[in-house]
Amino acid sequence: MSSWKSLLLRIGDKSSEYNSSSDLKDHIETCFGALRRELAHSSSEILPFLLQCAEQLPHKIPLYGTLIGLLNLEDEDFVKKIVEDTQNVFQDALGSGNCDRIRISMRFLTALMCSKVLQPASLVVVFETLLSSAAITVDEEKGNPSWQARADFYVICILSCLPWGGAELAEQVPEEIERVLVGIQAYLSIRRHTSDSGLSFFEDDESGGDIVEKDFLEDLWERIQVLSNNGWKVESVPRPHLSFEAQLVAGKSHEFGPISCPEQPEPPSTNSAVAYGKQKHDAELKYPQRIRRLNIFPASKTEDLQPIDRFVVEEYLLDVLLFFNGCRKECASFMVGLPVPFRYEYLMAETIFSQLLLLPHPPFKPIYYTLVIMDLCKALPGAFPAVVAGAVRALFDKIAGLDMECRTRLILWFSHHLSNFQFIWPWDEWAYVLDLPKWAPQRVFVQEVLEREVRLSYWDKIKQSIENASALEELLPPKGGPNFKYGRTDGQEKTEQEQAISADLSNKVKGRQSAREIILWIEENIYPIHGLEITLSVVIQTLLDIGSKSFTHLITVLERYGQVMAKLCSDQDKQVMLIAEVSSYWKNNAQMTAIAIDRMMGYRLISNLAIVRWVFSPENIEQFHISDCPWEVLRNAVSKTYNRITDLRKEISSLKKGVISAEEAASKAKADLEAAESKLTLLEGEPVLGENPAKLKHLKSVAEKAKEEEESMHDSLQAKEALLARALDENEVLFLSLYKNFSTVLMERLPDDATLQSLKSHGDSMAVDLEESPAMEVDDENGIPKKSQSNGGKATNIYNVGEKEQWCLSTLGYLKAFSRQYASEIWPHIEKLDAEVFTEDAHPLFRKAVYSGLRRLSNEL
Amino acid sequence: MASLFKDLAKLSAYRDRRFNGTQEEFEQALLNSITVYIGNMSFYTTEEQVYELFSRAGEIKKIIMGLDKNSKTPCGFCFVLYYSREDAEDAVKYISGTILDDRPIRVDFDWGFVEGRQWGRGRSGGQVRDEYRTDYDPGRGGYGKLVQRELEAQRQLVDYGAGSLGSFPPVIPPHYGRHGGGHGHGVSNRHGRDYHRKRHRDDDRYGRESSKRNSDHESRRASDHESRPEKNPRFRESGDSDDEEEDDRKRRP
Repeated sequence: MSSWKSLLLRIGDKSSEYNSSSDLKDHIETCFGALRRELAHSSSEILPFLLQCAEQLPHKIPLYGTLIGLLNLEDEDFVKKIVEDTQNVFQDALGSGNCDRIRISMRFLTALMCSKVLQPASLVVVFETLLSSAAITVDEEKGNPSWQARADFYVICILSCLPWGGAELAEQVPEEIERVLVGIQAYLSIRRHTSDSGLSFFEDDESGGDIVEKDFLEDLWERIQVLSNNGWKVESVPRPHLSFEAQLVAGKSHEFGPISCPEQPEPPSTNSAVAYGKQKHDAELKYPQRIRRLNIFPASKTEDLQPIDRFVVEEYLLDVLLFFNGCRKECASFMVGLPVPFRYEYLMAETIFSQLLLLPHPPFKPIYYTLVIMDLCKALPGAFPAVVAGAVRALFDKIAGLDMECRTRLILWFSHHLSNFQFIWPWDEWAYVLDLPKWAPQRVFVQEVLEREVRLSYWDKIKQSIENASALEELLPPKGGPNFKYGRTDGQEKTEQEQAISADLSNKVKGRQSAREIILWIEENIYPIHGLEITLSVVIQTLLDIGSKSFTHLITVLERYGQVMAKLCSDQDKQVMLIAEVSSYWKNNAQMTAIAIDRMMGYRLISNLAIVRWVFSPENIEQFHISDCPWEVLRNAVSKTYNRITDLRKEISSLKKGVISAEEAASKAKADLEAAESKLTLLEGEPVLGENPAKLKHLKSVAEKAKEEEESMHDSLQAKEALLARALDENEVLFLSLYKNFSTVLMERLPDDATLQSLKSHGDSMAVDLEESPAMEVDDENGIPKKSQSNGGKATNIYNVGEKEQWCLSTLGYLKAFSRQYASEIWPHIEKLDAEVFTEDAHPLFRKAVYSGLRRLSNEL
Repeated sequence: MASLFKDLAKLSAYRDRRFNGTQEEFEQALLNSITVYIGNMSFYTTEEQVYELFSRAGEIKKIIMGLDKNSKTPCGFCFVLYYSREDAEDAVKYISGTILDDRPIRVDFDWGFVEGRQWGRGRSGGQVRDEYRTDYDPGRGGYGKLVQRELEAQRQLVDYGAGSLGSFPPVIPPHYGRHGGGHGHGVSNRHGRDYHRKRHRDDDRYGRESSKRNSDHESRRASDHESRPEKNPRFRESGDSDDEEEDDRKRRP
């Protein structure tokens, strides 16, 4: 890498490029010196690289801004080009709704203003353009309030610039910036407060009602007001341009042309709540909220900084997570080396956990955050592990109120994390969960973490890892072997005859008989004599046993003898029996149960509807609040269905592109042919129409082939579209069935007049108030809690929600989680669901859970 | 996304000698592949462990364990096939260098599984890297195969010389039959108990008792316990031991 490149990249970092100096002024001078030398002959290389750095390392934007300001003194044209390019990028991003680029471009423009490259008035024009677009959006008459997500986003972008340039704006254009702020205040008064209870980490205590939590924009507005009252001083934003002020003022300010925001999306033609809801859902997908604050640590750990610093550090961290996804080393080193003069481990942990648990989806897969947390534990071995442990304890204390989806993610994360750190955890702290009823969320959490640990490792190893709390062995899953009904050892309950059939079948498989031969054998010799139940049980159990040794063995059996199962279980009733047989065979191994059912669905031996029916069978319903097992199976089934649809959509979109290029190729070939045909050529001295015959023939065949290609592309596109249409219909049926089942089981068990509060307050002690409890004191040296007996174990020990109530809470929680995760797939079928399931007759709490999962306005209820 | 630091074109430093095609075709195969190669696994890691870990990057289509070509037992590598390219990319990004079964594993794009690639390519049946290793790696059958043979030869001498009959198991010269591979070496006491755990994929597929899991675990635990101190050198503390990876890469068959 050329040295100017590494200087640009590493500016601001403590690195060898800068002789480990940490003086920003030095960095800028060194880097500027190098760039100035290169500018004459490699400006075409420098420009894009500089812009790329500014985009992907946005926490260094003030440094890049100052550099550009200095370059402006050397080469105005170069900087003019930078401004023009930025304008183009920004305008494109606005048009396509590329949120990250809009946000970062605006911060970059702010930095350019600070270094005198742009006039403050130009920046104010940008702000006003965005603000007026936002104001129109939320206007009931002229705009389309269902798109408030975009309007809010624009306003957040404006406010987000102020930590970087508020001081300059207030000094240089005080009236204009005041006007913008007044405009924002006006906007805040007409927009709707976003109450996204469907996306909050914790089940809110709706009992209070009087404390309305501020939404993200309101919160940011407040932080900015404090900032403004503080004279715009921000510790977390470096201001390197101040050291060069005397030079920078001599620079020429460049024009920044007008920008335009995209048109307001057409409001729904029918003025129905459903149409409004659909648009609102789309808008929120396109302009998602970046972060939701997860307050897990006591205020004393994080709140000694100014309100605005918290926002700035979060921005830094989120940008590093965004741009360094996949670059482990850089990600960890930028995360720990932010340009701020205070410590922020707690804030960093809260930010990462808030992403890991972000609803409905984090920007990346949860496993990414798992990796980041591991790497930070290694990068800051003295500080971070203890903070992570503190976060775990805090979340564990509040687990009963934690959203179900978050609980699942937390279990997956925690087990995976521990597997990377030799499974070391002070389990004895949690040994008290054994005294809790088996449905207590804390107990279920420990049990599920242990289950996942065993899956990642093996039973004895995990047993050993909980030696310091050996009582918890009770919560370990069973040792995991299969439960073969027709095994040689337990002959008492099964007739010898059945054992003999099983042995026969086993021999046939060993003898490599084909599926067809076995089907015939069953149909002729077994089924007629023994009837459905015995035949099904023996055949399925035996085949499962043959495939029991590993995942691959299972797949091999399903590939070779799946037809036998399919033939035997031809309708939904029998498929449910088949699943029950799987679950009985693997009753000691939740993972294999889930895998086997998932693969069977993969080979289309069982339908997703059969799986839903099985999940809602009485034995499973009893497990809803004490085990994740049925939910795992259900999640797999819905996600597999969703994946199939996603694949079809991808194929269709690539086929569409293929069709277009095939059409182009065909029409080009046709044109070539026609051109050749119409050409006059001399043949034996005589002019004839058309080129020489060989060439013509060739062109003809090319044209024909292209035409054929085009047609076959069209055909396959049509075929895929038909498949997608069918898949979507099936999806509707799936969600209908899922919701009907949920509605029915909840109706049967929810008390008529139940409210969430009445369910929870059964013992009135579910929520442990962290703020008042010093339980979070964590010894910073080694992560060992200083938890005293009185507030650690005992405080949370008084869980006494009744079994029935907990069942309702858990089930409602899962219902909400499913609705939220698949909201985009559910919304298109909402009319049908409204008509058939979400009716007046359904329990209000059922509808409430669904609505909040779908983020549907609840005032309809 | 971070194009600044990562050379996106560089997908894998390892070039499979058995790939039939040009370098460009090889790179193209890697770019489109939905298969990942997993290396530096313990011989004892099961498909289900792999499934649990790798399904966190996406839905898994298939797992193919790498097997010792003589003993048909796992020899420390495997292939995972995903349904989507994105998931395969995430597996490489997020799982490579993390721990599975107490070992830092390596995850790379692979040009695609073809029949035959499940077998180890080392002389003794396992992976080439296990031929020449001189360290003691309890998760991978103790010492490297060459060292094992040497130790046996020495032991034979010591054994006969000291006349302590019966205090050591009879030394079986390395042979390449069913129980070749990890068998008959100097540390067989410790690992003898683990043999039965290893799977036989084809010949033995349907004949085995499945209730074996338990005893397997016991032996695993025992061996684990005994060998913990020796394991530490392979344990990555800092997370970025590129040197080791490079090294590993070169040695991969």
